[in-house]
Amino acid sequence: MTGVLAHGVGERSDLPIPLFYAYAGAFAALVVSFLALGLLWADPRFRGDRAGRPLPVRPPATPLRVLTLAALLYTVAWLLAGPAEGNAAPYLIYVLFWVGLVPASLLLGPVWRLLNPFRLLPDRPRAPLPPRLGYWPAAAGLLAFTWMELVAPEPAAPATLLAFLVLYGGVQLAGVLRYGHAWLERGDPFEVYSTLIGHLAPVGRRADGRIVLRNPFDGLDAIAPAPGLVATVCVLLGGTGYDGLSTVPAWIRVLQSGPGTALGTLGLLAAIVLVALLYSACLALAGLIGRTRGLRPRFAHSLVPVAAGYLVAHYFSLLAVEGQRAVILALGLEVRVNAEAVSPGVIATVQVAAIVAGHVAGVVAAHDRSVRLLPPARAVAGQLPLFALMLCYTIGGISLLLA
Amino acid sequence: MRRTLTLGARLCLAVRLRLAARLSQVACLCVAACLCLAACGPQSTTHHRPGTAHDVVTGPATPAPGQAHAEITITRGRVSPPPGWLEVAEGSPVTITVTSDTPDELHVHGYDIKAGLPAGKPVTVRFTAGLTGVFAVETHRAKLVLTQVAVR
Repeated sequence: MTGVLAHGVGERSDLPIPLFYAYAGAFAALVVSFLALGLLWADPRFRGDRAGRPLPVRPPATPLRVLTLAALLYTVAWLLAGPAEGNAAPYLIYVLFWVGLVPASLLLGPVWRLLNPFRLLPDRPRAPLPPRLGYWPAAAGLLAFTWMELVAPEPAAPATLLAFLVLYGGVQLAGVLRYGHAWLERGDPFEVYSTLIGHLAPVGRRADGRIVLRNPFDGLDAIAPAPGLVATVCVLLGGTGYDGLSTVPAWIRVLQSGPGTALGTLGLLAAIVLVALLYSACLALAGLIGRTRGLRPRFAHSLVPVAAGYLVAHYFSLLAVEGQRAVILALGLEVRVNAEAVSPGVIATVQVAAIVAGHVAGVVAAHDRSVRLLPPARAVAGQLPLFALMLCYTIGGISLLLA
Repeated sequence: MRRTLTLGARLCLAVRLRLAARLSQVACLCVAACLCLAACGPQSTTHHRPGTAHDVVTGPATPAPGQAHAEITITRGRVSPPPGWLEVAEGSPVTITVTSDTPDELHVHGYDIKAGLPAGKPVTVRFTAGLTGVFAVETHRAKLVLTQVAVR
């Protein structure tokens, strides 16, 4: 039951991808980057929040949120009264909810906004949300969840999960009571996670509340820069990177050579800081070359597809195998988990394809933003640090799959 | 003519949308009811795991030459040799011998093999690597990763 390694739950981790897949992925990323530099458009094309064709749909938000609340109470009941062996709650939380939010948001947009049970509370703000707060509360919440999943000594223990749920629920409740629903948009880590990934979906929610069908690149362009956005994306990227590191024998040796939790915490923070430093350094260089200030927050959106690619690569097999276990345990079915639901070849292909697709989408989004923000004569040169950044993330991501 | 048609189509769409909304509400209630029923019903105790046939022997192992084998000792919380990877071809036998200086429980993840480890006595588990992937071999009390079995 206790999964010491990776993902909070799960019995197996993925095999290293074959070297050929790694070379093919890295080569594809490299070629696309340079082609993009030379061939892509010279005038900005993506229209962000103005784009999209309105869809005549109005999802039944209240019944859906009541349903999520019921599922949440059901999970808490498992945590409080469930058996120690074969408890469904950790699988429901780490697999169906946390991992499942990624494909759901990639397909349907900001789903957690629609399902969020805290939106059942009345929206009566007593104070306006301070703009300086931005995404910082969400970044902190995502860091806390990632720490629990990857570093905590007993990630799947009911006590750990209950403590997190109480803390999370308390913060959201206080936030909604003070700032109304505006808090959830910036302060609920899972709503921010789902909404950011949901910007890549063909179905989007515009700022005016309309559900639209749109080009995912327009959706990506609609992510508004705010304080803490870079930090949020770096937590997602660094956290997933650390997840990849956690099955590497050398790192396990380091963890077992001393106080494991403290060393794990340091490792997780170091991975996030490394991702953030790399981003800041490349953006500073792009600003110098392009002679433009304040670029740093305005390219954070281009890291969202990179992070989504990492998430898909790391969680695909977990969802395919442990997702079955979540359903079987939660519903008390008498069925076996098919542990070979996906073959190693399929897993490796999905992993490399997800990382390269994330890279390509990131490069295209960054290109469009550069031709908008940088003076035309310097737009091409100014993009070079951004390409270097994306290549670092992609090759880093692929090497973690090789380890 | 054309205008009435569009109007008709619009009406039709409106009715259909309302119907869809109603249907989805009904569906939501049904799922909620199912969840509640599942919660009240007996919890599954026969929780199957994809374990293959295996045996546990107290004492050192004598594996056939060329067979995947690991011999691990735990002394004062230190694993020797340090945790690495045990490479195994799918379908071939694996033997792991563990000697712990404190009583503990051995767990081979994925294959769901558990074996008690009495203090100071070598315990050998043998199983056939039928599942591909990387599986951690851990001790439950000391929470140490002993090795990872990589089956491909």
